[in-house]
Amino acid sequence: MSEPLIALLSELPAARLDPARAARIRTRCRARLARLAPDAPASSAKTVHLWQPAITVLGVAYLIAAFVQAFSVSSKF
Amino acid sequence: MDRDTELGLVERLRQGDTDAFDAAYEAFSPRLFTFLLRLSRRRDVAEDLLEETWLRFVKHARRLRPDTRLGPWLFTVARHLHVSFNRSRVLEDSAAESLMGLWPFAVERASPFESVAANELERRIERALAAMPLASREVLLLVGVAGLDHSDAADVLGVTPEALRQRLHRARAVLSRALDRDGTAPAPSAGGITPCPSR
Repeated sequence: MSEPLIALLSELPAARLDPARAARIRTRCRARLARLAPDAPASSAKTVHLWQPAITVLGVAYLIAAFVQAFSVSSKF
Repeated sequence: MDRDTELGLVERLRQGDTDAFDAAYEAFSPRLFTFLLRLSRRRDVAEDLLEETWLRFVKHARRLRPDTRLGPWLFTVARHLHVSFNRSRVLEDSAAESLMGLWPFAVERASPFESVAANELERRIERALAAMPLASREVLLLVGVAGLDHSDAADVLGVTPEALRQRLHRARAVLSRALDRDGTAPAPSAGGITPCPSR
């Protein structure tokens, strides 16, 4: 029993897929992979690049406005 | 395929390299199809499940972990698809066999491999494999035919290596008994009809 049986199984012939069907599967999968491949990380990086300066500008503007407000209040006293 | 080649392939697949897909397809498709065909015993089903396996593979290609082992990944998906197919068709082997037992005659259906087996021993093995319960058949197909090592086969089946060893031991015993029986009893002709044993 045991290992000789496994050896017998390993010598069984492999199945052959119909070549036309095999080619269809390959083409379909290649097309899907190519469609999924384009620049998903690049677009998210671009979004980060756009938002970072915008947040910085708004933050600086807020700080300036806060200082101006503080000076105007303190100059009255 | 050695491990370094496999890791390189995975890296290229993660980048969406279609040539890497071709390499993986060439390396694994024949074994996957053989596994699915012997598991389902139907060429049309095996072809559909093979296509779905590869479609799932490319869908997840960019999210593969860098250390992914392609063989176990693909065989796991293929097996899950076959399990889902069986559930959807309510055609688990045990259910089918118990239903067949209600009829006065049992139909011996030849496996797709049996008619093309090169010699009598191969025919007997194919016949025995086709008649085995699904759980026994899949472990023998993974280890014996697809050549997965025990730890990979355990991963595919979702069991511990120890449970796999036990399952494999039982499956080998079942196959061995079936071969002994088939070797001593006259073989039924493929596609023929044999009466059920009287109870």
